[in-house]
Amino acid sequence: MSFIIRHISTTADGRQIIRPTTLATRQIYIGRDSACEIHLADLGVDMRHAKASILDGGKLLVEAQGNLGFDADGRSVQSVTIDPAVGGELRFGSHRLNITREDGNVVIAVERIAAVSDSADTKDVSTVFQLNGLLPGRRPAAWALIAVTLALFLIWPIYTYATSHGVKTRDAGFHADTMWTSGNLSQSHKSLENNCQACHVNKFESVTDKTCLTCHKDDAHEHADPARQGQSMAPKGFGDKVERMFEASFGIPEGRCVECHSEHEGAGHMEPTAQKFCADCHADMKTRLPDTKLGSAGDFGIDHPQFMPAITVGFDGNKRLTRRAVLDGPLTENNGLKFPHDVHMSKTNGIARMAQTMKAEQGWGNSLACKDCHTPTADGTRFLPTEMEADCAMCHSLAFDKIGGTIRTLRHGKPEQVIADLRAFYRSTGPERPINLSSMARRRPGEYAATETAFDFAAGARAWPGQADEAIRAVFTKGGACYDCHVVTPTLVGGWQVQKVVQPDRYMNKGWFDHDAHKQESCTSCHAADTSKVATDLLLPNQKSCRTCHVGGTGESLIAVKKPVESTCGMCHDYHMDGGAPWDAKAGQTRSGQGSVRPPPTPNTVTTSASPYRSVRFGVQLARK
Amino acid sequence: MATQAPSGKVPRQTGRVKSDGFHEGFLRHRNFYWLKFASILSLIVIVAYMIIDVEPRHNGGSWYGYTLGTIGAGLIIWLTTLGIRKRNMTPKAWSLKAWTSAHVYLGLSLIIVATLHTGFQFGLNVHTLAYVLMMIVIISGLFGIFAYSTLPQQLSFNRDQVTETQMLESLRAIDRQLHDAAQPLAQNYAALVRESLEQDPFADGLRARLFRSYPNCATRRVHAELRQATRNRVNIGNDPLERVDGLLERKSSMLARVRRHLQIKALLEFWLYIHVPITFALIAALIAHIISVFFYW
Repeated sequence: MSFIIRHISTTADGRQIIRPTTLATRQIYIGRDSACEIHLADLGVDMRHAKASILDGGKLLVEAQGNLGFDADGRSVQSVTIDPAVGGELRFGSHRLNITREDGNVVIAVERIAAVSDSADTKDVSTVFQLNGLLPGRRPAAWALIAVTLALFLIWPIYTYATSHGVKTRDAGFHADTMWTSGNLSQSHKSLENNCQACHVNKFESVTDKTCLTCHKDDAHEHADPARQGQSMAPKGFGDKVERMFEASFGIPEGRCVECHSEHEGAGHMEPTAQKFCADCHADMKTRLPDTKLGSAGDFGIDHPQFMPAITVGFDGNKRLTRRAVLDGPLTENNGLKFPHDVHMSKTNGIARMAQTMKAEQGWGNSLACKDCHTPTADGTRFLPTEMEADCAMCHSLAFDKIGGTIRTLRHGKPEQVIADLRAFYRSTGPERPINLSSMARRRPGEYAATETAFDFAAGARAWPGQADEAIRAVFTKGGACYDCHVVTPTLVGGWQVQKVVQPDRYMNKGWFDHDAHKQESCTSCHAADTSKVATDLLLPNQKSCRTCHVGGTGESLIAVKKPVESTCGMCHDYHMDGGAPWDAKAGQTRSGQGSVRPPPTPNTVTTSASPYRSVRFGVQLARK
Repeated sequence: MATQAPSGKVPRQTGRVKSDGFHEGFLRHRNFYWLKFASILSLIVIVAYMIIDVEPRHNGGSWYGYTLGTIGAGLIIWLTTLGIRKRNMTPKAWSLKAWTSAHVYLGLSLIIVATLHTGFQFGLNVHTLAYVLMMIVIISGLFGIFAYSTLPQQLSFNRDQVTETQMLESLRAIDRQLHDAAQPLAQNYAALVRESLEQDPFADGLRARLFRSYPNCATRRVHAELRQATRNRVNIGNDPLERVDGLLERKSSMLARVRRHLQIKALLEFWLYIHVPITFALIAALIAHIISVFFYW
């Protein structure tokens, strides 16, 4: 009984070469040592790894010689007994030993089953140097990304649209179609941010005016007759024509609210109406709309009609009647007062002297200034009407009596009350008793004068109540307290009529002006009050005066302006006019070269008044007794 | 970017055009024809943006915005077709090189066209998503331009006229020699050598390749351990350990070259794994962008 060792090797083309060796011995060694009968050139094998001996009875005992074991039929062992007749497989490192029995001999087929090294293993040189397998493939990645993107950003929002169609207000959670927004909504529409369906009602349908009007029932109105407005519009440029053509082909009507009121332009106020929107129609409007009464207004700097303030022409009951007059030259308006500004503002006359004496008491300067009588509104935009009691009475006193320490004054604005008070005064009091008629004085002979005085006093006291009529007449006629400032006419029934005083807070109701924004100017640089001799002078600055600083929205001007303020239409005008500031003015303006922006006034503090004038009041003044 | 395309009145050749010896890459193609074209396009678009008065402000919804959007979308679709075009080589005026040149420069002009299309209005929405994806594609493309114009030189320098097959073959040769040289070694040393032999030079991931970072390289570690073990021994010339040491040294330097090669090849290839899939994400986002705009008109 002997060993037959078959070394099997494989050629590059897969052919097997078998080299058999017969060993007539019952015991052999397996190892890396070349002295071993089965020499395995394998670094995973010990020098003398195992001993194989044929036992009596033909079985084969394989025992490890060192600490390293080996595999027998897949199990790791230190020694094993194999019946060659049954067969068995051993594994040492990268070698496989297949044990069988042939003609009474133990046959061991030795074969290398793993490459010498990893690099020697089968490797495809065309792919091994590339990134294949290290990254997800480009094609699957592309498909996956397409699917995810379309699902998240197209299908999901469309699903949201379909499920919220017709819903009035959606819940506060996330709605996928908000991912389609092209920008934040303006402040006033902020509440609609989560409710796309409120404006975008039907799919592929542009926002309609009807949608705007569901909320803006009262405050949205037509600016002009749509037909005339369409006629006055300037011809479109090429780009706009093409855009219009596309819109028309999709059935989108022209002149929708959203054409001017563009949304999704970012949080904050809606963008102010741009000059182009006004100028498109209002520049050279007569050429397209010959019968228009409006002047051409293309740009404030170079093309704007002269201001036309509404001046008072009379009264219909309490209603102030006005007429618009062109402010080309000096205009006059009868406001019912006699008030020479120049006298009051003089720096040298008696009034100035009086101002100096009352300096400490009133906080005045060396002469009267505008602010001493005119009080701005809380927001500084306009001025409050002057009040007799607060703004005039410190000099023009209506006091007529003093009882103890109390001064009695005539009631300003109530002529009937004045008359009643004066009559009461003469009825209830006698003439002042002369000091030389003291009851304690002793009468001496020859003191004729005292007798005379007493006589006169007694006569005066008898006639005293009759003097009331005279006093009343004195108050209401030339030289009297009322007559000094007011226009007073006697009535047929023996009374007195004081003309209404009108102090309009706005003369230009189509435009808007903010005094607060002009603080750096002195009052007289615009209002020529210091040279005005009569109260009928309308002290409004004209367009030329404004143009010394304000140039057009495009920066153009007729005269050279050192520090120009670019002024679009929106600075003074607004499409939907109310008492408040126009959008553009609210947004604040920078004077080029100064770099300061006035913070916009809080919209709520802007004085608004439904009536075209703030108040019509009476004013009466009584001369000091 | 093989050869120079015929220009002017040079008689047209059929088939592959012979090089005149001066290599003109896709960047210089036809004396920067497409660079000039793209620059003029960008300039026109910028000047028009400044001249055209869109109220209240420029945005994608104005007529000029729509125009720019249409140009941009058209460019994106055309740029994408390079992937189809490159699979069909032709040497004529619209050679692949000309196409690539146009792809690069028109792709860069897309930055201008698309940015002006946005009117500089950005937000967290599908529109800005499309823009951001487009910018990722363009920036990865810029990296591609950089890679294609500088890395092949380094690749060639590093290869030193050795092909990839030869690189692999020489690694195998060293391994075989290591295997043989280690046969007489004691088991502990043999196990060490076996670790180096069983190391797969291509097993490490993308990070290792891109940054050439192999902290767990078995060959280097084994080499160091062997040195540590034999540092006190006298060099007696025919000690098998000395041979193994020398072979490990050779293997280390061969691995270094292979790894540099892998790094350059990874850099050449890597950007495409961003450029291509994100392009398709961009096209999907673009579809969503366009549909959404008209869905909620």
